[in-house]
This record gives sequence, structure tokens and C-alpha cells, in this order.
Amino acid sequence: MSETIDQNTFEQILEMDDEGDNEFSKGIVFGFFDQAESTFDKMEKYLADKDLGELSSLGHYLKGSSATLGLIKVKDACEKIQHYGAGKDETGTNDEPDQEVSLENIRKTLTQVKKDYKEVEDFLRRYYGEPSS
Amino acid sequence: MMDGGQTSTSAAPAGNSSDFVRKLYKMLEDPSYAEIVRWGDEGDSFVVLECEKFTKTILPKHFKHSNFASFVRQLNKYDFHKVRQNNEENGQSPYGQNAWEFKHPEFRANSKESLDNIRRKAPAPRKQTQNTEDSVPTQQIDLLNQQIVAQQQQIQHLSDRYAQLTVDHQLMLQEVMRVQKTVLNHESVIHQVMAYLLSVDARQRRDSKAAAAFQAQGQAGSTLSPSQVATMDDEPSSPLQQATKLLNDMNAEIQFNLVGLDGVGDPSKAAGAVVSGSGMDGASRNGVVRAPPGPNPALVYSKMNGDVEPVVYPVGATNGIDPMYGEHVKNVPYPMPKQEVDDSRRQQVQQVQQVQQVQQVQQVQQVPDNRKKSANVDPGWARSPRILLVEDDQTCRQIGGKFLYSFSCIIDTALDGLEAVTKAQANPGYDLILMDIIMPNLDGVSATHLIRQFDRTPIIAMTSNIRSDDIQLYFQHVGMDDVLPKPFTRKSLLDMLEKHLSHLKVASQNMEASQSAVPGTMAAQNSAAHSIKEDSSPGQSPATSVNNWQSPGQFQGMTALPHNMQPVQSQYVPTTPGPAAYAVDQNGVQYATPAVALAPAAPAARPQVRRQLSEMSSAAENPGMAKRPRMYAHPSQPIVSSMQAARTA
Repeated sequence: MSETIDQNTFEQILEMDDEGDNEFSKGIVFGFFDQAESTFDKMEKYLADKDLGELSSLGHYLKGSSATLGLIKVKDACEKIQHYGAGKDETGTNDEPDQEVSLENIRKTLTQVKKDYKEVEDFLRRYYGEPSS
Repeated sequence: MMDGGQTSTSAAPAGNSSDFVRKLYKMLEDPSYAEIVRWGDEGDSFVVLECEKFTKTILPKHFKHSNFASFVRQLNKYDFHKVRQNNEENGQSPYGQNAWEFKHPEFRANSKESLDNIRRKAPAPRKQTQNTEDSVPTQQIDLLNQQIVAQQQQIQHLSDRYAQLTVDHQLMLQEVMRVQKTVLNHESVIHQVMAYLLSVDARQRRDSKAAAAFQAQGQAGSTLSPSQVATMDDEPSSPLQQATKLLNDMNAEIQFNLVGLDGVGDPSKAAGAVVSGSGMDGASRNGVVRAPPGPNPALVYSKMNGDVEPVVYPVGATNGIDPMYGEHVKNVPYPMPKQEVDDSRRQQVQQVQQVQQVQQVQQVQQVPDNRKKSANVDPGWARSPRILLVEDDQTCRQIGGKFLYSFSCIIDTALDGLEAVTKAQANPGYDLILMDIIMPNLDGVSATHLIRQFDRTPIIAMTSNIRSDDIQLYFQHVGMDDVLPKPFTRKSLLDMLEKHLSHLKVASQNMEASQSAVPGTMAAQNSAAHSIKEDSSPGQSPATSVNNWQSPGQFQGMTALPHNMQPVQSQYVPTTPGPAAYAVDQNGVQYATPAVALAPAAPAARPQVRRQLSEMSSAAENPGMAKRPRMYAHPSQPIVSSMQAARTA
């Protein structure tokens, strides 16, 4: 799990839990689940619409919260989507002039990030003692 | 409607030749009026030379009124016309500037008989139907005049009302500000009261729950799954806990996932059971901890949080303890003299009394520390900083808010730049603004630009795009003060606060003093831990203390530390002037006490949360367990609490 979740980052959130429960971190994490799933849905939609701008901004959006939780893989993928959507390569340094290539890159990344997300979601749900969905 | 002259109505209908005209003629025959009104030079007109005197003296005598305008209207009715001099001789009337000269073809001096030919020109009915060019305009003008007057009154009324509303608005604003202050004060009072109540509550509960905790311990041994254990320790929250929760919610603007409340499979509760089972009922740590039985390991742990890494990775850690950060010192794992426990007890009382004296830096620093749960770090503010957190992402906002709250900040949040500008405008009292850059509606750069038009509050950009040209933009063009890279950590956030809010620190005129007081605070806790271990744990829970001692070989990692750190610590102490003397004393004793005391327990039960995470993630893949040492520290916390609780009780 260590390359999926940055433990330091995640633990400092656990540390903010009140004594006797972990509502705070659980609330954050489950809130993130909702956020991530709806963001993925939107990404699919904008992928169909070929709206690179929206895809980039959604990538940036989910990048922020996944990074804050220390969900490294999800964060990295979101960053790539942000770059692809901005017409760049995956590192954001070189231009990618072909829209179709960018869309295809996003399509691949999105498929992958959903898997990564599912993995970390299952882990976290187990961690919080909830059956995985 | 022009028929207004009082006399004209009675004069007009009389005789062949008009009464009015006769009176006029008669008046002009009187030579004594020559200076005021007389026949014109040609005898075919008459001239009013002194309008004022004419109105006051002659009109009343001959026409029974003193209204020159009525007189003129009367003349007009009989078809007299004013002789205009303006177009000839440069507007100079031969009779002087203020003279009024009137003419009628039949009205001449020494021609009394022709007066009969002067008739009132338009009877009333005709006037309305035919004489459009004369009477209708006057009617209209009169109407317009009335309208204008009415409108002027309306305008006057409106502007009066506007002025009144402006005043009212000012008053309301002041009132709102006052209420705002009151609310803040109340909030802090509530926090104080809550802290006190919790301390009382925890004390009571500690006694009543000890037995139950024992039982839980037996089964929670170490093999049960967290969810199983959780059910055993299913403590209903007391009203106090609920109140506390409400407060937390308000402060951090956090929406909890209520699903999590049912407590099933709640690992931290499970861990809590384990810990409390060990007889170290940490709930009453400092008398203020919330949960009745057993501290949440996560919380206890967090005491060591953030920049602990240098401490807990003794191997390969080159930086060691940074004396400038209290948290580091907090984690110094060696014990302190027992007497310190009494100190912290005393400070707790002071906290209730809200003692905040700058001179007593050390105590003041401990006050909030006692009050807060263990996760909360009090950086030693003279007052709680007010922070505006501008962040569109819910996750970041909640976590950021929680972190800030744990630093004893008062937090307000804005969801985008627009709201940020509005809030900054409405509330000039922020000490710091944390500004996300990419947001809907209005981005952080634009929002900063707008806020800078009226406010100089430090604004920190929070961003994951840290390119130099961006930074240039943030700093130079819109006047941001700093950049906090995303994702931020608790430490980076605290560093930022301390950097920009140093003026809010207690004894900010002497930063070192306030910093150097921290070691004492932390040392006190460590010493408490130590002494408890010796004194109370055997007494309180003889059975469990054997099995469940939390500090097993856990302390292996730590035992090495005192030796590593001593030089650092002692180096540090001499460099700090004044209050540092205090730390020297503590440390002196500290060093004397053997860290070995911590070593001899067996690694039976470790808080389950940590363990689970470690096992599921890194531990399995990485037996080195790099993170483990961080956990070893927390057993000391429960000990502190039980000790203090014991003394409190």
C-alpha cells in the first residue's frame, strides 16, 4: 500500500481525529470517495464531449484533494490528466498539439486511475471497518 | 384660474368703462405719486417707477391689495401691454432700469372718454376655448410649476430618507461588529467552560469506567479485529462530548460523515479499548480529555506528530531536534522530575481561571495545551489568530481547517475568491488569509488583487504549481506574502503561521523566551510519563501493567535517543537567555533520570489503528518498519494522563 498511500500524509490526518473515534478522518475520506466518483463520472462525460479544458480542470481539482490525503497514485494520475487536458505531455513540459492524442492519453489514464482508486478505496473502507462497495 | 386678484373680481363686472381702468386713471391724476407712478413722457402710456413703493403704498389705497403681480395680471386682462425696452437702446428704459411701462391704445393722458373703449378682453368661458395662445400656456406653466414643486418635495423627502438610512446603516454595521466581537468572546468562554467541564467529567468517568475498561482489555488482547473490539467499548457519548463535537464542527466547518458514528468497526475505538485495558486510563489526561475510557491512540500519537521524524528515526536522522520548534522538544523521550506533574496541575487551574500573564510565559503556553486534546499544538499565541481559509476543495478545506483549529486558530472559510473578498471586506479582523489559487468564480490571484485594494492582511498562496514565474506573479503583482506548497502538511502550515504571525506570540518582543519555555512544557509531560510509570501503573492496574505495557521494546528506538539528543539539548539551552534557565534546570534533572526506566515492558498490545495500518501497508511489504518508532512514543501519553488523573482525583 505504501506506494499508493503516503503514510505520513495520511497519518497526520488520522492524528486529527478526536479521542475515542475517527469520525473526522473517516468523514474526510468518505467525502473524498464521493468527490472522486463524481469527478470520474464527469471526466467520462467530458471525454465524450472532447472537452480538454474541463478535463484539465477536473484533473487539477481531484489532484488537490487526493494529494492532501496522500493518495499518491490517484494524485499522480490526476496530474497527468491535468497536463493532457492542457495540451501537454504527461509531465506538463512539452506541448502535445494533437487533440486526439491528448484525449486518448486521458482515456487511458482515466481507466488506470479508476483501478488505482478502487484499490485504495477498498483498502480504506476495510481500514474503517466498512465492507467494500 | 388667473382670476385670482381679490379686487379684480369685484372691479371687472362694473359699468361701461371698467372700474379698474377708472381707478387706474384716477390714480395717475394724482401728482403726488409722480415719483412712483406717472404718465409716460408721451402721454400714451404709464410708468411704474418704483415698483416696491407702488406695491406697498399705492396699490392698497386704490386697489385694496398689495400684490403687484395681480395688478399686472389685471392690466393684461384689459389688454395693457408692457412696453419692452430691451431690444432698443441697449435695453435701457428711459425711466430707469426697474421701471415698468404699460401701454394701451385707448389709455392716454387727458383722454378720459376713451376709457370706455377699454374692455376686459376675454370673458372666462371664451378664455378656455379660444384664447389658447394666452391662457392655456399660463395654465400649463402653472400646472408644471405645481408638478415641479411636488417633485422637489419628493426629492427632498427621498434625500432626507437616504440620509436617515445611511445613519441607520452605520449604526447597524457598528452593532454587527459589536455582536461579532461578543460572539467571539462567548465562543472562547464556551471553550474554557467546556475544557473545565470535561476535566471534571473525565475525572468522574475515569473512576466509573475503569472496571469496564479492564474487561475489554482481556479480550482485546491483540488478535481481535478492530470491529469486534469496538463493540465492546461502545461508549455512548456524553452530552459533553456532543457539545464538544458541535463546537468542533462550528470551528472547523466540518461536516462529519455521520455514517461513521455507529461505531461499528471503528478501529480507533478498538484501539482505545486496548489502551484503556492496560490500566492507563488516559481519558483524564490533564483532566481535560474527552473520551471517558482510553485515549485514542491517534490522538496520543499526534502529540508526536509533524516534525517528529527526526526524533523517531534516530538512524540516519541528521537534523535531530530543532530547538526553535516546541514540538520537537515535546518529543524528547526522556523523563522529567516528578515535581513537574504538580506544576501542570497548577497550570490547569490557572487555565480555568483564564490566567494569561505574559511574564509567566511558560505557564501561559501550557494553558491552551492543557485545554486542548493532545493533537492540538499550541504555538503560544497571545490570542487566537483569526484565519480566513479560502479553498474550493472540500477535502483540503476540511483538513486545513482542522489543522488550523489544532493550532488554536479561529477559522473562517471561503469557498472561492469572490467569497473571500466579501469576507475580507466585511471583516477586517483577519490576521492571515490562506488563499488557494485555482478556484471557480474568482481565482486566488484576482481575489488577492482585490483585497489588496483595501487591506494589508498577510495572504499566503496555497498552490501545487510552484513555478518561478507564478511566484513572481503572486508576490510582485498582486502582493501575496508567501507560498505554501500543496499539499501542505501540518508542519508546513504551522511554520507558515509562526513565520507570519510572530507578532501574536506571547512575549513576541522576546521570541526566544517564548520558545525556550516550550522545552519545559514538554519536559513536564515526559517527566510525568516517567514518574507515572514508576508510581501509579503498578498500583492502579497491577495485572494489566504486566501484560499490556505499551512501551515494550517500543522504546528501543527511543532509548537511544536521549544520548543522541542530549548534546543538542544542552547546546541549545545555554544559547537562550533568560527563561532558558528554567529549561536548564529541568534538563539537568532530566538527564539524571535514566531513560532505561522506559525500556522494560513487553510489546504486548500496540494501538490497533497504527498497527493495522502498518501491517496492511508498509509493515507487510517493508519489515524494516520505518514508521514504527513514531508509535513508540505514545504510550507515554496515556501514562501522563492516568498519573495526572490519579492526582486530580
